[in-house]
Amino acid sequence: MELLAQILANGILLGGLYAVMALGLALVWGVLNIVNLAHGAFIMLGAYAAWHLYTYLGIDPFLGLPLTALLLFVLGYALQRGLLNLVVRAPMFNTLLITFGLEVVLTYLAQLAFSADFRTINPPYAGSNVQFGGVVLPLVRLAAFGVAIVLTVGMWLFLLHTRLGRAIRATAQNLLAARLYGVEPRHLYAVTFGLGLALAGAAGALYGTVSQINPYIGASLTAKSFAIAIIGGLDNPLGVIVGGLFLGIVESLTTLYIGPTFADVASFGILVLVLIVRPGGLLGKTA
Amino acid sequence: MKTLRIVSIVIAAALLAAVPWFGSDVLVQFGINALLLAVLAQGWNIIGGYTGYASFGNSVFYGLGSYGVAIAMVQWNLPFGVGMAFGVLLAVVFALLLGLPVLRLRGHYFAIATLALSQVMAAIVSNIGIAGQNIGLVLPPLNNDRLFYELALLLLAAATLTVWWLTRSRFGFGLIAIRENEEGAAVMGVNTTLYKVLAFALSGVFSALAGGIHAYWITFLDPESAFDISLNVKMIIMAVFGGAGTVLGPVVGALSLSAVSELLASEVTSIAGLFFGLVIVAAVVLMPRGLADMIRRLRGFGWRYFIENIRASRL
Amino acid sequence: MSAILEVRRVTRRFAGLVAVNDVSFALAPGEILGLIGPNGAGKTTVISLISGTLAPSDGEVLFGGTSINHLPAYRRARLGIGRTFQIMRPFPGLSVLDNVAVGALFGHGGGHRRLAEARERARASLDFVGLGSHVEQRADALGGPGRKRLELAKALAMQPKLLLCDEVMAGLNHVEIEEVIEVIRKVRAEGISVLVIEHVIKAIKSLSDRLLVLHHGEMIAEGTPDAVLSDPAVVQAYLGKKRQ
Repeated sequence: MELLAQILANGILLGGLYAVMALGLALVWGVLNIVNLAHGAFIMLGAYAAWHLYTYLGIDPFLGLPLTALLLFVLGYALQRGLLNLVVRAPMFNTLLITFGLEVVLTYLAQLAFSADFRTINPPYAGSNVQFGGVVLPLVRLAAFGVAIVLTVGMWLFLLHTRLGRAIRATAQNLLAARLYGVEPRHLYAVTFGLGLALAGAAGALYGTVSQINPYIGASLTAKSFAIAIIGGLDNPLGVIVGGLFLGIVESLTTLYIGPTFADVASFGILVLVLIVRPGGLLGKTA
Repeated sequence: MKTLRIVSIVIAAALLAAVPWFGSDVLVQFGINALLLAVLAQGWNIIGGYTGYASFGNSVFYGLGSYGVAIAMVQWNLPFGVGMAFGVLLAVVFALLLGLPVLRLRGHYFAIATLALSQVMAAIVSNIGIAGQNIGLVLPPLNNDRLFYELALLLLAAATLTVWWLTRSRFGFGLIAIRENEEGAAVMGVNTTLYKVLAFALSGVFSALAGGIHAYWITFLDPESAFDISLNVKMIIMAVFGGAGTVLGPVVGALSLSAVSELLASEVTSIAGLFFGLVIVAAVVLMPRGLADMIRRLRGFGWRYFIENIRASRL
Repeated sequence: MSAILEVRRVTRRFAGLVAVNDVSFALAPGEILGLIGPNGAGKTTVISLISGTLAPSDGEVLFGGTSINHLPAYRRARLGIGRTFQIMRPFPGLSVLDNVAVGALFGHGGGHRRLAEARERARASLDFVGLGSHVEQRADALGGPGRKRLELAKALAMQPKLLLCDEVMAGLNHVEIEEVIEVIRKVRAEGISVLVIEHVIKAIKSLSDRLLVLHHGEMIAEGTPDAVLSDPAVVQAYLGKKRQ
C-alpha cells in the first residue's frame, strides 16, 4: 500500500513537470494553430541555457527561471517574426514540415555547440528529500512540481483575465477584427510564440534538474508534450495539468506493475484512444 | 511532347537498372537505400499526396513488412516470397483495423494519431517473443546486392505505375476529390470512408514490401530499426520536396535528397544533418509545392515564383 | 402523383441552438420549389439535412417514398440527390472539366466507371450551363459567376433526379441572373425536380412554382409566390431588409 502511495506520488510530481512541458505547445497550438514539432528541441535549449547559467554564473536554476524564460522568449519572438510568420497562412502541413526542419537544425547545432555528453544541473540541494505521510518526495521534483502548477495556473489567468491575453485570443480567432482594432497580428503572433517558447525554456530548466540533458532529448519530449496536450485537450489551458497528471500517473503505474518498456506503449496507446474516442481531450468539448 | 517525356523516363529507368553493372559496390548499396526510400515516398504519396491525409505512421507498415519476412523465414522456414506476402497481409489487416477509426480524424489530428501508433507498435513488437523481442531476428544471408537492387527498382516502378494509374482512374479521382473537398466529394457520391481506407492500405502495401526487401538485404532487424520513426519524416520530406500529388515528384525528391545527404555525409558528418534541416526550412518557405511545381513554373515566373509563394502564405 | 421528396417534421439541434424546427413540406416530381427566408433562417441546414451532410435530430426525410434518414451522403448522391454549395469550393487542383467529371464518375447509380465516358458527360454538362469554352481551365481560375455555374454543372453531371440549389444567384448581375434562371428552367425541362434557396426575390418569384418561407428555423408560409410574398407574416420577417 505504501508502495502504491509512493508510485502515485512519483506520478503526480512527474505529471506536474509534464504539464509545464506541454503548456507552451498547447498555447501555441490552441491559440495560433501552429503545431510546433520542434517544441522538445526548445525544451532542450532551455535546459542547456539553465545549465550554463548555473555552471558559469552560479545562478540557481529555479531562481534563474525568469532569465531562462526571457532568453527563450526573445528567440521565439525572432523566430516567429522572421520565419514562421512566412508560412502561417499556408496549409497546416507546411508548419509541420518547417518546424520539423527547425528541430533537425536545432539538434545538430546543439550537438556542435555542446557535444553529445550527458549533463545535469546539480544544485547543492539536489539530493535532499521531503518526507510526507510515509512518502518520499525529492525536493527538486517537488519544487519543479510547484513551479509547474504556478506557471500553468498563471498562464490560464493570463489568457483569460489580462488585456494582452485577451488580445492574443482575439487575434487568433479573427485576424481581420484584430486588425480593425489596431492590433498588429504579426507582433501579437510573435509575442504568443515567444511565450510558448519561454514556457518551453522554463520546462527545460526544470527538466535539467531532475533528468539528464543531451542534444537528442528533443524528439521524445516533443512526442510526450503532444500526448499530454491532446489528452488534456487544447480548448482549456488547465487541460495540460489534467493531461500531465494523467500521463505521469499512468507511466508510474505501468513502470511498476507491467514493466518500464511498456511506459511508452501506455502513453501513446492512451493518446491514440483519446484521439479516437474523444478528440477534444479529457477536458475538451465532445467532438 | 508527351512522347519525349515517355522516352526520357524509359531511358532514365534503363540507366537506373544498369547501375549494378557499371557502378561500384558502394554506389549499388546507396542505390538500394535510395530506391527503397523512394518506394516509401511514393507509397506515402498515395495517402498523403493524393488523398490529403498526411500519415506520420507509415513506418508501421514498413516494420510489419520487415517482420513479416523475418518471422516467415526465420521462425517458420518459409521462402522469401511467402514472407513478403505475409508482410503485406499484416499491413493490410493493420490498415483495415486501425485505419477506420484513425481516418475519421482530420488534418493534424490524423498526423499525430498515426505518429502515436507508430510509437506504440515499435514498443509492442519489442515485447513479443516470436519477433525475437528486443534482440531482434537474424535472417538467412543472401549476398547478392545486384538482385536486391533490381528488386527495389522493380518495386519502385510498380509503385510509380500505380500512382500513375491513380491519375486516370475513377478511384484516383475519388481520392483527389476527397483531398480537395471531402464534404463535396461525399455529396457527389464518393464513398469517402471506403476510399480512404483503401488508399491507406495501398500505401501500406508498398511500405511493407519495401520493408521486406530491406530486412532480407540487411539480414538483421530489431524493433527500433524496423519501426524507425525517422523514416516517417524522411519519406514525407522526400515526397513533398519532389512534389506531393505528382507521379514522379516523390521519386525525384527521394533520389535527389538521398544523393545530397550522401554527398554531405562523406564530406562533413555533423554538417550534413544541419544542412538537411536548413534545406527543409528553406524549401517549405520558398517552394512549398515541391520541385515538380517549381520546375514547371520557374520558366514562366523566374524569381517572382519564390516571392509569390511567400506572399501567399505569410501573415 | 407521389412526392419525390418529403420532409416530415424535421428538426435539427446544435448544442442548445435549434436551427430547424419541425419543418414539413413535399416536392412534386418536376416541380421547382423555392425556399426563402432571412439570413440565418436555417435554409442551408435544411438542404444539408436532405443531402445527408447532417442528420436530423428528429423527423424523417423521404426520397421517392422511402426514408433516407440513415443513409450517408454518398448513398443519397447515388440515389439521385445532387446539391450545390453556397460557399463554392471547387476542387482547386483540377481542371474545370475534371471537377465536373467527378460528378459523372460517382453520381446517380454510382456514375460511370470509365474516365473517358465521365469526361464526355462532363463536357455535356458544362455545355448545358454555358461553360463549354472553359473546360481546360483550372477551376480556381474561374471568377464568381463562373464558379456558380461550375457548381451547377458538377451537380448536373451526376444525373440527379433532385437538384438542391443553394444561392446560385448571389452576387450576380441582372443578365447573369437571367441566364441562371434559364438554366434552371432547362434543368426542370429535363425532368429534374429542383429545390432552390435564394435571396434574390424577384428571380425566385419568376422561377418557382411554389415558395416556402423559413424564419428562425420554422416554416411560416407556403404557397404560390404571389400569395406568399404578400403574406403579412413574411413581410414582417423581412422588415428592414431590401425588397426587390
